[in-house]
Amino acid sequence: MLSRLSDRLARLEEIAAAALAAAVTLLILVNVAFRAAGSPLYWISELAIYAMIWMTFLIAGAVLKRRQGIAVTLVADALPGFAHRLLMALVDLVVLVFAVLLLWLCWRWYQPLALARLDFDVRAFQGETFNFIYAENTSTLGIKKFWVWLIVPWFALSLTFHGLVNLGSALRGLRDPAEAPRPPEASP
Amino acid sequence: MTVAVFVLLLLGAVPIALVLALTAVVYIQVSGNNVLFESYPQQLFGAIESYGLLAIPLFMLAGELMNEGGVTRRLIDLARLLVGGFRGGLAYINLVANMMMAAIIGSAASQIAIMSRAMVPAMEREGYSRSYGAAITAAGGLLSPIIPPSMLFVLFGVMAQVPIAEMFIAGILPGLLLGFSFFLAIAVVGLVQQYPKGRWPSRAEAKRSLAMGLPALAIPLIIIGGILLGLATPTESAALASLAALLLGRFLYGDLRFAMLPTVLKRTAVNAGLVIMLIAAAGVFGWVIIYERLPQMAAAWIAALTTDPFLFLLLLIGVLLLVGMIIDGIAALILVVPILLPIATQQFGISPYQFGVVVCLTLVLGLLTPPVGAGLYIASSMTGAPPMRIFRSLLPFLLASLVTLVLLAWQPWLTTGLIGR
Repeated sequence: MLSRLSDRLARLEEIAAAALAAAVTLLILVNVAFRAAGSPLYWISELAIYAMIWMTFLIAGAVLKRRQGIAVTLVADALPGFAHRLLMALVDLVVLVFAVLLLWLCWRWYQPLALARLDFDVRAFQGETFNFIYAENTSTLGIKKFWVWLIVPWFALSLTFHGLVNLGSALRGLRDPAEAPRPPEASP
Repeated sequence: MTVAVFVLLLLGAVPIALVLALTAVVYIQVSGNNVLFESYPQQLFGAIESYGLLAIPLFMLAGELMNEGGVTRRLIDLARLLVGGFRGGLAYINLVANMMMAAIIGSAASQIAIMSRAMVPAMEREGYSRSYGAAITAAGGLLSPIIPPSMLFVLFGVMAQVPIAEMFIAGILPGLLLGFSFFLAIAVVGLVQQYPKGRWPSRAEAKRSLAMGLPALAIPLIIIGGILLGLATPTESAALASLAALLLGRFLYGDLRFAMLPTVLKRTAVNAGLVIMLIAAAGVFGWVIIYERLPQMAAAWIAALTTDPFLFLLLLIGVLLLVGMIIDGIAALILVVPILLPIATQQFGISPYQFGVVVCLTLVLGLLTPPVGAGLYIASSMTGAPPMRIFRSLLPFLLASLVTLVLLAWQPWLTTGLIGR
C-alpha cells in the first residue's frame, strides 16, 4: 500500500518537474522576445530561476526514491550477494537519516508552532524568536520569499516518506533476496 | 572525524549529493558552530539561485530535441561531404559530426550515447572493428565538454564567478586543437592498420545532404554566434536552440512528434536535476571547506612542491586524472574547484579561464578510463563491444588528449587569447 503510494508520488513529482522544465524554457523564450521588442520583463528571470529550483527539488525526491543518484559504486559492485544487499540497506538508512534531519532543520527554520501561537502575527513572532524568515522579500516578484522556500520542507517531507518505504523494502530484501530492490537500470 | 565520514559515505555508494550535505551536517555538529544549522536549508536553496545555472536544463533539452528530431543524422550526412573520401573516411566523419554535435550538446555522456548508436553500426558495415568504432565515438565525446556550449563550463563559470560566455569563448581554440590532435591520431592509426578507403558521395547525394543539413547547422550557429556576438546570454541561446531544434525536428524533418515531448521533458528534468542537486549540496559543503581552511592547507602543501605555474598545472593534471578515474566529472569539479581555484589564481597567477579549461578536460578524460569510466560503459552498452577492448583502441586518442592538455597548461594564450585577458 505505502509502496504504491510512494510510487505514485514519485510519478507526480516527475510530471511536475517535467512541466517546470517546459516552463523554464518558455519563460526564457518570452524574455528573449520581450527584450528584442525593447521592453524586457525583469521579473521573468527570477521566476525562471525559482521554477528551475522547484524542478530540482521535486525531481530529487523521485531520483533518490528510484536510487538513481550519482554515486561511487566501486566498492558496492565488488561485494557479493548478502554484503551488497546489506550495504544498499545502509545507504537507504543514510538517505532516511538525511531526510529526517532536513525535516527537523526546516521545522526550526519556519517555526510554525511559534507562529501559530502568536496568531500569525509576524511582527510579534520576530520580536520573540529573532527569526526573520517571514520578512524577506523576493527581489522582483512581489511575494514573500518563504513561499518559494517551501519547496525545501516539501522535499524533506517527500524524501522522508520515500526513504521509509525504500528502507522497508531493502530490509525485507535482506531476509529474502527475491524481494530485494532491483538495481536501477543504467541511464546514460 | 569529518573527513572519515566523508570517505566512508562516498565509498559506501551513498549518492554524492547526500555525501556532501551530510558531511556538512557532521562538520557543523563537531565544530560546535550550531548557529549554521539555522541557515542550513536556506543555504541549500540559495546555492542554486543562479541565472547561469538555467543554461543546464536548457542545453540538455536542446540536445534531447536534436536527437529525437533527426538533426543528428543530418549533421552526420553533412560531415560525410567534408571528409568522407579519405582513407578511414568514416572515422573522420565520426569526428567531424562529433565536433558539430559538441557545439550543441553540453554533456559528454549523452553525446557518446547518441553518437554510438548513430555511427558504430555504419562503421562496422564498412569494415571497421566494432571496438574501434566505439573508441572513436567515445573519443569524439571528449570534444563535447570543451567545444562550447559545455555543461562543465557552465558549472565552472558559476562556481568560479567568471562570465559563462567568456568561458565558452576560452574553450574554442582548445576544442579545435583537441579535434586536430584526434585527426592526427586517426591518420596515424589508419596508416598502420590500413583502414577501409572512404568514398565521396555522389553529386545527387551531396545536394540532398546539403539541403537537409544546412538548416541543422543553424542550431550551433545560433548558440555560438549568439554568445560570441553578445546578442544573447548562454541561457537565452540555449532556449533559442531548443526552439529551433523543436521546429526543425517537427516541421522540416518530421521525425519529432509532439507526443514525445513529455518523455523528452522528463529526461531533461531528471538529468538536469541530478546536476543541480549536486550544486545545492556543494553549497553547504562549501562551509566545511572554508571553515576548515582546506584551500590554505592545500596551498601550503603545493607551494612546498613547486612555485612554477606550468609545473603546478602538470601536477594538477596528474592528480585530477586519478580523481576523475574514481569520481564522476561533474561531482569532481564541484569538489576540487573551491579548493584549488584560489590557489591557482592567487598563488600562481593562473587565469581562471586556463585553469577551468585544463581542469574540465582532465576530469572528462576520467569518463573514458576504468574503473568508473561512465563513457566507456555507455559506449560499450550501446555497441556491445567489451569495455576493455574499447579502452585499448582508445589509447592513441587518450595520448593525443594528454599532449593537448600539456600544451594547454604550457601556453596560456591558447585559452585566454580569444577573450583578450
